[in-house]
Amino acid sequence: MIFVFIALVWLTGFSIARFLFPAPAGWSLHSVFLFSLGTGLGIGIASCLYFLSLVLFGPSPLILAGFGAVVAAIAILRGMSAKSRGIALEWAAGPAAPGYLTVLLLLAVVFAVTMFVVHSLENPHGEWDAWSIWNLKARFLFRGGERWKNVLSTQIPNSHPDYPLLLPSAVAMCWTLARGESIGAPIAVAFLFTLGACGLLISSVGILRGKTQALVAGIVLLATSSFIQLGALQYADVPMSFYILATLALLCLQDRFPGDLRFSIAAGLTAGFAPWTKNEGWLFLAAVLLARLIAILRFDRRVVLATQFLRFAAAALPSVALTAFFKLHFAPPNDLFGQKASDLAAHAAVFGRWVITLEGFVQMLFLMGGFLLPMVLILGLYWFLVRFHVEERERTSLATVLVALGLMLAGEFAIFVVFPPDIIAQLKLSLARVYMQLWPAALLAFFLAANPPQLLSTPAHAAAKTKTGAKSLKPKRRTAPAKPAHPSVRLN
Amino acid sequence: MIALVALALASSFWLLLDLISVYTRNTTTVGVAFFEDRFSEFRKTVAPQTVLSYLSDNPVNDPSNQSEFNLTQYTLAPAIVKPSLDEPLVVVNYHSATPDQAALRARRLVPLRDFGKGVLLCRNDAR
Repeated sequence: MIFVFIALVWLTGFSIARFLFPAPAGWSLHSVFLFSLGTGLGIGIASCLYFLSLVLFGPSPLILAGFGAVVAAIAILRGMSAKSRGIALEWAAGPAAPGYLTVLLLLAVVFAVTMFVVHSLENPHGEWDAWSIWNLKARFLFRGGERWKNVLSTQIPNSHPDYPLLLPSAVAMCWTLARGESIGAPIAVAFLFTLGACGLLISSVGILRGKTQALVAGIVLLATSSFIQLGALQYADVPMSFYILATLALLCLQDRFPGDLRFSIAAGLTAGFAPWTKNEGWLFLAAVLLARLIAILRFDRRVVLATQFLRFAAAALPSVALTAFFKLHFAPPNDLFGQKASDLAAHAAVFGRWVITLEGFVQMLFLMGGFLLPMVLILGLYWFLVRFHVEERERTSLATVLVALGLMLAGEFAIFVVFPPDIIAQLKLSLARVYMQLWPAALLAFFLAANPPQLLSTPAHAAAKTKTGAKSLKPKRRTAPAKPAHPSVRLN
Repeated sequence: MIALVALALASSFWLLLDLISVYTRNTTTVGVAFFEDRFSEFRKTVAPQTVLSYLSDNPVNDPSNQSEFNLTQYTLAPAIVKPSLDEPLVVVNYHSATPDQAALRARRLVPLRDFGKGVLLCRNDAR
């Protein structure tokens, strides 16, 4: 029964995504994009609905079921009846991807799913954060009945009562509707987010840069063992990474299709769920707004600023307002932010804390991901061979992603320096997870900028025009990059 | 590109093999299932609004002390478990089946019910 409700949640999200971007019937890149986007939309909306229902009507399964049924029915009816209109999201023009890449992608999917299943069999309740925070909160919400507010009790050490409730609410909603607790709910939610992030990366890179780049990006993310492991162990960092990637990918698509402002609406929706997932979501929301502002002012027409921002803000508002309501009305102060200003100033004044944090950030670049060799070096080598090539129309997109990720990193760096009393323990505990939150979006930025490997001596537009000719192109040794026919920026 | 894809897949496969070999060794770990089993009877006796103190025979600085406390809280939710001895009822998490009565008496804890496997409910007379 639990899985029926999980499927309904996903279907609701998919229908909302399909309502926004109606896809032609049948299997296509467009539908992969919607399947993946639907995961985060469905779970985010279900979670908000559950919390609202709990606050307004108490823990009543009947009211929740009625509330949920109305929203799901409207979404599914509107989504499924939406006629294909506007743009079709297809593979970007480029050289045909070698057949073996598709096979390797499927192999990476098999490895990732097996890894997820084995982790879930070994730790069905997840790891530390899952049973100390997220699933514990879900139990308080579900088992607590009228006393659900005990989830916010400051008497429970290590449960971080101020943490937002996207994951616990989504899980507790499935348990409430199914009238029983099953560990299948958090596992299924984690699975959807993990594979959803991979699907979203593949489809968005495919739409923006073509099939070859998309398949390589997908293989790298699926083979990032730490990412799959974090997902399977039910940490909130993977859902967070999903919302970061979704927002940035949708803003990139907005730049690719400037006439269609539904991308800004969808980006607002996903960005709005970030603060409801983790406290870092506030940092991301500020970072993405600032990054977008900088990117548009620097590279785009300023007239698009107001139209895009209005739609983004309107779509983000409901979930941001709900999170603010939770924070202001229910949540106790955050344990890190609750420290005295004089202590924080003293932390910031210690030069050693800056050095330790910097050292940690640099080391983690080489350690993250769980690869046999540091992936950052391999990506560096890949860049050396193919180089970056950013077309003019992609400058705003890439600037948005890079500035947002840069601001996130800078913000996290400042948090590490200023807040934790034991900085070394905090770095050990959470820096790898911070990197994993940003990893899918960083891969989006990398493959958005990188040249397709087969186009080392051929301008992209020429290869696009002669798709059949492109098939015969074999990877060549690096030669002098060809001059593009239209203005572009080289970042190397 | 080949090197990138090969490294990614080799890393994933390598870790997968490691993971499967650990899983098939079938070692017993002190995890959630173990705690759920030990506390299953105890949980049936506590009301959702109960607030319990917690006592364990783990050394305070032992890393397992924190994780066992969290696992106890996870198992007994929505009852609240506090890592102190200031509530009238105390959940005792000992590692021996026969609890150390002298240690309990020293803290003025009176056993109300022994659930076996080192799990006890005690009354706190020290309050």
